[in-house]
Amino acid sequence: MLDYPRIDRFAYLNSMIHRFDPRAKIIAFLFLIFSIVGLSEVKFALVGLLASIFFLVLSRLPLRFALRHIKWVSLFIIPFFIIMPFTMEGTEICTIHGLKVTYEGVEYGVLITLRALSAVILILPMIATTRFEETIKALERLRVPSIMVQMLMFTYRYIFVFGEEWERMWRAIESRGFRLRTTLYALRTMGRAMGMLFVKSYERSERVYNAMRSRGYTGHQRTLAEFNLQKSDLVLSALIISLGIILHIIQGVA
Amino acid sequence: MREAVTTRNLNYSYPDGTIALNNINITIQEGERVAIVGPNGAGKTTFLLHLNGILQNTDGEVKIFGKNVNEAEREDIIKNVGVVFQDPDDQLFMPTIFDDVAFGPMNLELNENEVRRRVKNSLTRLGLTGYDERCSHHLSYGEKKRASLAAVISMEPRILVLDEPTANLDPKSRAELIKIINELNRDGVTIIITTHDINAVPELVDRVYVLNRTIIAEGIIREIFSDAKLLKENHLEVPEVFKLFEVLKCFGYNCEELPLSINEAIENLTKTIGTNGGHIHLHIHEHTHEETEKVKHKYRYDHH
Ligand SMILES: Nc1ncnc2c1ncn2[C@@H]1O[C@H](COP(=O)(O)OP(=O)(O)OP(=O)(O)O)[C@@H](O)[C@H]1O
Ligand SMILES: [Mg+2]
Repeated sequence: MLDYPRIDRFAYLNSMIHRFDPRAKIIAFLFLIFSIVGLSEVKFALVGLLASIFFLVLSRLPLRFALRHIKWVSLFIIPFFIIMPFTMEGTEICTIHGLKVTYEGVEYGVLITLRALSAVILILPMIATTRFEETIKALERLRVPSIMVQMLMFTYRYIFVFGEEWERMWRAIESRGFRLRTTLYALRTMGRAMGMLFVKSYERSERVYNAMRSRGYTGHQRTLAEFNLQKSDLVLSALIISLGIILHIIQGVA
Repeated sequence: MREAVTTRNLNYSYPDGTIALNNINITIQEGERVAIVGPNGAGKTTFLLHLNGILQNTDGEVKIFGKNVNEAEREDIIKNVGVVFQDPDDQLFMPTIFDDVAFGPMNLELNENEVRRRVKNSLTRLGLTGYDERCSHHLSYGEKKRASLAAVISMEPRILVLDEPTANLDPKSRAELIKIINELNRDGVTIIITTHDINAVPELVDRVYVLNRTIIAEGIIREIFSDAKLLKENHLEVPEVFKLFEVLKCFGYNCEELPLSINEAIENLTKTIGTNGGHIHLHIHEHTHEETEKVKHKYRYDHH
């Protein structure tokens, strides 16, 4: 088996966040994410980051799992952190190889990093504590356009099938002596194999579509889901959403 | 009795010009169990795709309970004809098994209680109770196969069409699936299968169509199995028990109807021994060698 990047691998754990109704969870955390991303002062963004970490801890997701996800996204953030100090106009702090480092630049770099990190961290309690199937249904209940929900759903379902198909193909290629090198021949073989996977996937999509039509699919789709909002869900959402609002209020007053 | 499926002068070519079906005329009565057999590439799968209007085709006619597939309401056809495709990965596309089995009933716009009742029934019938919340990509092939059947019978079709239902199953899963299909048939569901699993034919169906682009032959199993030339020309086989009794005949065993399954073989032996005073007598006579060679030759594909 391939090591699939399964975001919902720890959805079976039990925590306050895991028990949170998926719909309320998505709305509350999305609100908080947008609110933190909209903060403009470093000290408040820092509070936002601490709050995010707090929710991550509350969700009891294993630290290693969380770090692995955060690590990848960090790769995109670091360039900003490095470039910003050099590119913003303002009070000079020092000069490195003739490039001016400004106070405003450093501050802005830190701000962006804090905001992005908070968002990335909050995505974990939001998505990783619910089975993906449930998240999909929650999105559907929240009236996210059907086409988007279906796309997400099929991607999630067939990523495994394609993954295995690729694995089988790759095994067949390697067992006939192929080794991946940076030669033109090797690259061409890779390209062809990927092309084959594409054709196979296309043909499968036709068969899947046939199977769907056989069972009465017309483009619209409903699933049955049992969600019921508890009082505790409302309280928790209210808390998370107020946190988002309060951060902005205090920042406005200060 | 009603005619469940009727086709008249059905022709079909794929867009690339491959002639897949040529003048197909078939009539299947309600409650029948029928197999379509034939070599690889004979057009079996293509034919099945016509039965619920997936392949729209005006060159010829397909009727389900007297209604032309191209003219009837789509929903009407889908409700009556359930198709189980060969690869369960094509058939299970929803997030959970529950959703997959509920998919058809939901599309029929049944109310929620009815949908839940049908899902529960189908899962129970297929021995999948408790699988509701499992996702299909983590099931074994046999489980997927059963789930894909559950996803179709939840629509409670009157005609069940299965493309190679027993392929790739272990003996236990295979036997269970055969049992379930036969139970459905006893409830009045018409069964149409394609298969290369010749040992499953006697267990699953009563009548056989031999298809090789066009209908080559039609008949009850024993008739078809007795026509050596027909079998060979269409890359078909007969069950090993059937062959064994042909061999026994070369050694002087007296047997008019060759058994198709172990059960029939036991019956046959019991009867023959009974009428022969408690034993059977086998011996080598002057033609034995010649006849066994003939039997061997009859079922060989590795030389011409
Ligand atoms: N999408 C397609 N486009 C073009 N030709 C096709 C397509 N699907 C099938 N064919 C061709 O049509 C013919 C009949 O194929 P079909 O799949 O119906 O055969 P089959 O009897 O089901 O074979 P098997 O026993 O191998 O499953 C074959 O020659 C095949 O190559
Ligand atoms: Mg086929």
